[in-house]
Amino acid sequence: MCSSGAIINVGHADPPIKIEKAWINDVPICHPGAAVDLYIGATAMSERQSFEYGGGHVIEDLVGGKEVELKATAYGTDCYPRTQVKTNLTKDDLNQFYLLNFRNCYQRYACAVNSRDETIYTYMGKLLPRLKNATFSGAGELNPLMNDPDYETIGIGTRIFLGGTQGYVIGEGTQHEPQNRFGTIMVRGNAKKMNPEFLRGATYTRYGTTLYVGLGIPIPILNEGLVKKTAIRDEEIFTNVVDYGVPRRDRPKLAKVSYKELKSGAITVGDRRIRVSSLSSLKTARKIAGTLKSWIENGEFFLTAPVERLPVDTMFKPMRQTEEVSFVANVMQKAVTCSETEAVQAIAERIVTRSVNHIVMVDGNGKLTGIVTSWDITRALAQGKTALADIVTRRVITAKPDEPLETASKRMAQHNISALPVIDNEKKVLGIVTAEDVSKLLGR
Amino acid sequence: MVRILLRFSEEIVEEPITSQIILELKVPINILAAHVNSKGGEVLAEVPDAALEKVVKAFRKRGATVSIPKLIEVDSEKCVNCGACVTLCPVEAITIDEDASVVFDKEKCIGSICSACVDACPARAIKSVKQNNSELTANNTR
Repeated sequence: MCSSGAIINVGHADPPIKIEKAWINDVPICHPGAAVDLYIGATAMSERQSFEYGGGHVIEDLVGGKEVELKATAYGTDCYPRTQVKTNLTKDDLNQFYLLNFRNCYQRYACAVNSRDETIYTYMGKLLPRLKNATFSGAGELNPLMNDPDYETIGIGTRIFLGGTQGYVIGEGTQHEPQNRFGTIMVRGNAKKMNPEFLRGATYTRYGTTLYVGLGIPIPILNEGLVKKTAIRDEEIFTNVVDYGVPRRDRPKLAKVSYKELKSGAITVGDRRIRVSSLSSLKTARKIAGTLKSWIENGEFFLTAPVERLPVDTMFKPMRQTEEVSFVANVMQKAVTCSETEAVQAIAERIVTRSVNHIVMVDGNGKLTGIVTSWDITRALAQGKTALADIVTRRVITAKPDEPLETASKRMAQHNISALPVIDNEKKVLGIVTAEDVSKLLGR
Repeated sequence: MVRILLRFSEEIVEEPITSQIILELKVPINILAAHVNSKGGEVLAEVPDAALEKVVKAFRKRGATVSIPKLIEVDSEKCVNCGACVTLCPVEAITIDEDASVVFDKEKCIGSICSACVDACPARAIKSVKQNNSELTANNTR
C-alpha cells in the first residue's frame, strides 16, 4: 500500500546537525520532527532512478540488512552548527526503525479497467485499451476487516502480524469509510525485526514506487455473531468495476462483481468477458494466515483486546475546492464540419470564411470520421490533390467533454497536434477544443 | 517446431520473402508475432525442426537476419506472486495455479518481441534475456 513508510532516528553526528533535507540512496526523506528523526515515505522516488527505486525499496533494503547511504543538508544553528553530512547506515545503526503506515488493509477495493484507446499506467497497474484486461486488489474473504466488519475485535492496541513480526493497530487508517465497507487501519511495528519476504519495495511503471506490506489480524470468536461474520465467502463480497480511463474523482462504474469472480480469472462486463488478475498476492496472504495461526498455537503470539475500537461511522469527504477547475466542456467550441464527398476547394473556402484551422469530417449521423487541417489543404495544393479522401486524417485523437482540460492539453502536446474533436461515447461530434483556447485559459 | 526471429531491413521489407520461401521450400512457417512498417520489420516465426537449416539459409540468402529470439525470464526470488502480469499476456503463458502461485509457461511465451508483462511487474522480476545462439550454430546453419 502506498500510504506506508517508516520512522527512523539516525542518532546525532558530531558536530551535530539539525537535518533540513535528507536523502537515502538518493530518495528524498521527510524530516517531520526534530534534528535527526526522519520518515521514509514508500512513494518518494529516487532522484537518480525515479520510478525504479523509491522509499519502499529503501525500507526493504534496510529490513534486509543492507547498507544504505544517508545524505543530509541543513542551514546550521548555534546548537546544531553542521550544514551537511554523508554516511552509510544499516538497521543496526538506527535507534528506532518503526514501520508506521497510515493506511493499510483496505477492506475491499475497486476492480479497474480502461475504456480509452491507449494503454494507461495507473496505481491499479497496466490497463490495456478498450477494456482488454482488468485488475483488482485485496484478499476478499481473507481480509481481516471483512471478517469483523463491525470491528468488535479490531481497534487501537490490537496485536497483529506485520511484515513478518508482531505489530499493532494504532487506530483507523486515513480515508476509513466503514459504512461503504472501505474500512482501513493505521499500523505500527518494529521494522528491525521484520522480514523482507513480507515487506517488498514495488514499482508501478509510470505511476511510482510503493511498498508491499504483509499484514494479518487474529480475530477471536467471542460470540455467535462473529462465527457467522468470519464465515464470509468471496461470493458474498462485491465491488465495482471502475473505468480508470476517465481521469476524474468519480469514475464511471461499469459493473458489479464478486471477489469469487475476480479470483476466477475473468469477469463479465455487459456482454464482454474480461480477463482479470490481482495486484496483491493471495499466496502471501494465505501464508500469513497460516504463520499467524502457528504462532498462536505455539504460544508465541497473544491476542489483545482493543483499547478503543475502530470507528464505524466516519465519512470520507472529497476535497473542498476553492478554486475552479476547467474541463473540456467549458472551453470547447462548435466544430466546423464537412462530409466525405466534398471537394478540397470547398474545405479551403470554409477554413477562410469561418477562420478556423480544423474541419471535422462527419457522417450522416454526425459521427466523427476524420479531420482536415489548413496544413492538409496546403499540402493538397502543393501535391495537386483534389479529393478530400486523399488528405483527410482518419485516426483522429479525440477528447471527451468531462475530461479535465489539462489532460486534453497534455494529449495535444504528446501527439504534437493543435486541436481535438470532442466526442461522446457514440463518437458523435460535440465540438472541438484547440490549443489556442487552452493556452488562453491556462495562460501558457 | 523451432522459433526464429527474422529481421528485414528497409531495403527488403517490401518484398514477399516469407511467402517465396514457403512456396519454394514447401515448408509451413507459422508467424507468431510481427512488427512491420516501411522502415523494416521484425517477425517471430515457428518452423519445423527438420526444416530449420534450409529455412534459415533461405532467409539469409535473401538478406534477412535470422536469430534465436530473446526470451522472457522470471526471477522466482523476486516474484511476489501478485499476478499483475497475468492478464497482459496475449498468449496466456502466465496463469495462477491452485495454490495461488503465478506460473510462467516458457513454451507458450513468444519472447521479447512481445514483452507486455515486463513493465507491468511491480517487483521487477521479469526480464527479457538473450538466449544463447548455440542451438542455431549447433545445427550447422551458418
